[in-house]
Amino acid sequence: MDRSKRLINKIGSFVIFMGPSLIAFSCVLLIPFLYGFYLTFTDYSPISITYDLVGLSNYKEVFSDKEFWGQFFKTLRYVFYSTVFCNLLAFILAYLLTSNIRGRNFLRGGFFTPNLIGGIVLGYIWKFIFANVVTQLGSITGYEALTTSFLTHPERAIVAMIIVTVWQYAGYLMLIYIAGFVGIPKDIQEASEIDGATGITKLVRITIPLMVPSFIICLFIMISRGFMTYDLNLALTNGQPYGSTRLLSMHIYQKAFQANEYGIGQAEAIVLFVTVAIAAVSQVLLTKRFEVEA
Amino acid sequence: MKRRLSTIILVAIAITLVLTACTPGTTGSTKTNGEVDSTASSSKSPVKITYFNTSAEVNTMFEDMFKRYNEIYPDVVIELIPTGIGEGQQEKLQSLYASGNAPTFMNVDPANVIEYEDHLLEFTTENAPWLSLASDGAVDGGTFGGKVLGAPWSVQGYGLLYNKRVVDEVFGEGNFDPATINTRDALQKFFEKIEAAGVPATMLHGANWSIGGHYLTLSYAVQGPATSDGTGFIDKIKAGTAKIEDSPIFQGYMDTLDLLAKHNYNKADPLVADFNKDIQAFAEGKCATFFMGDWAWTSLVTLENIDEEYGFIPVPWSNNPGDYGNTEVVMVLPKFQCINKSQNTPEQQQAALDALGWMLSEPEGQQFFIDAGFFMPYKNVRDDVVYNSMTTSISEYAQKGKTINLGCFSYISGDAWTETGNLMLKYLVGAIDRDELAKGINDYWQSVK
Repeated sequence: MDRSKRLINKIGSFVIFMGPSLIAFSCVLLIPFLYGFYLTFTDYSPISITYDLVGLSNYKEVFSDKEFWGQFFKTLRYVFYSTVFCNLLAFILAYLLTSNIRGRNFLRGGFFTPNLIGGIVLGYIWKFIFANVVTQLGSITGYEALTTSFLTHPERAIVAMIIVTVWQYAGYLMLIYIAGFVGIPKDIQEASEIDGATGITKLVRITIPLMVPSFIICLFIMISRGFMTYDLNLALTNGQPYGSTRLLSMHIYQKAFQANEYGIGQAEAIVLFVTVAIAAVSQVLLTKRFEVEA
Repeated sequence: MKRRLSTIILVAIAITLVLTACTPGTTGSTKTNGEVDSTASSSKSPVKITYFNTSAEVNTMFEDMFKRYNEIYPDVVIELIPTGIGEGQQEKLQSLYASGNAPTFMNVDPANVIEYEDHLLEFTTENAPWLSLASDGAVDGGTFGGKVLGAPWSVQGYGLLYNKRVVDEVFGEGNFDPATINTRDALQKFFEKIEAAGVPATMLHGANWSIGGHYLTLSYAVQGPATSDGTGFIDKIKAGTAKIEDSPIFQGYMDTLDLLAKHNYNKADPLVADFNKDIQAFAEGKCATFFMGDWAWTSLVTLENIDEEYGFIPVPWSNNPGDYGNTEVVMVLPKFQCINKSQNTPEQQQAALDALGWMLSEPEGQQFFIDAGFFMPYKNVRDDVVYNSMTTSISEYAQKGKTINLGCFSYISGDAWTETGNLMLKYLVGAIDRDELAKGINDYWQSVK
């Protein structure tokens, strides 16, 4: 009697606390994901009245889609550089802004602001900067490389995307790093200073090891977001010049909705999902090994 | 341990509950996509129909038109589903269909008409008698696989636009006759004369829809005056029995593209493709010609201190003045109105047919299109309308029968102009040569099913 009452209580509190978010999660994420996975085995199209199961042929198409793999490696490169530079910059900013710089709260706010602007707006702003401001600067200074837009050359367009990504996320990651810096116990710092550690030594031996949790979070954020970049890609380059800057998400979107190859697009999305999962999980596991207890 | 087990069971139960609650909805939509029976609406309540519009620049025109229609026929309410330029129009339409809410009307590109063929109501002389008022050839444009599925409502054209003031300054007032540009050599001489006067001769808009969708398509369309000439050529490339590089027309158009690129106002950085910037430069007379269509007018009129007199020159592809395409400009029916039969009741379909008839053939309906500056391909349109200079130029070519039939454009699938257009842009900046371009185009067509 008592046991079953307790069970009912438990179910009740579970439904109250977990129910709403579980339903939302299932409806917008879990079910579409599973249904989408099922669609990869069909030749579905919203236009045709019926569709058939086609087995694994969509996946076969994915592996023979040269364009997809070209963009795959381009995306890897984009993710790598934006992760590295963004974290580097964020770390340096956080380091400087936790020391006693004048007006550091204002500066923190300033560096964080880009993150409050949506990717689409940001893309259009930077498109204007690259196309008009930078080229003007080029013609004023006479510096040849700047006279043509960054966005009309395949390699430089990727560089432009990395620049904007770094600009957008550095402030956000900076906040996480600042929290990391502030969270380092004072006694350990003082102990190291008494032992004679200064500047670089203190940073490398004390600060960085104790900040591994911040690194894990920041790397994870950049890797997972980098792979799924779409809004910035759309607004800044829209795949131009000549389709060379279509990152994976955009390629998948175009495959599904513009080439009307839903099954293939969805199969490519699954490949992207697996890639992101592998990259993110292995990154977390790897960096976790560097974690130390204070 | 026990606790954990019970949590897992609970989660499993909750998930299955949610799953079972949702599954009927998702599987249902795939099966009930067929015809809908008419159980809805009693005769008293007004018929509500929806209109999906992809001509984003005239959303307000349609709104006004539907308001007026409702004043005359209070028992029909037409609801506009507007879309914006670059707003994912295809995706929106697809989601409407996938969710079983297909719009009663849709105003779409010809390629969409083919895609949605199975869902569309066929226009016949019985249900749409007003279609007999359409100009010759206009109905053919809306005929797909032998069935009239789309009702045309506007005509657009493209070619080499020229700024009359700039050209007159070089040649002297009234001395330039666009009909003299009927060979590539003549075009070259024309360009050289303009450049000698210190004005860049032409401008290419470095976007794949212009260089790919419009320019490259010429080399299919000019294969012959019939739509089947163009589609037949594409079919041969698809089957591998023809190579695009073996066509003298393709080679000719590429030679002309080289010439245009040589005199391109955007030569220093050809792929910037900022439409407003290009329009402004052309309207201010910074270059003499522009490969574009009469839709440029809509963007152009919003600018200040610009020239207003323009005309079209053909884009010659050979040095033989008699070749098809050298003295013609492209005339195209860019949008069609279609009625859905698969997800709308017969009453709704009938209401849509009546409304469409009013829009396209009654003077009051037509007036809305005329006021918006459209040239309607219907015989009973009032003939005292003054159009803008670009549309006038196109209609002059049309009256002389000097137009290129771009019918094959309708059969070009969704991503053709992006994919082949990207190759064209690569060629334009010299990243690939013509052989690689031709190979890329052949490969693209062969990859399309």
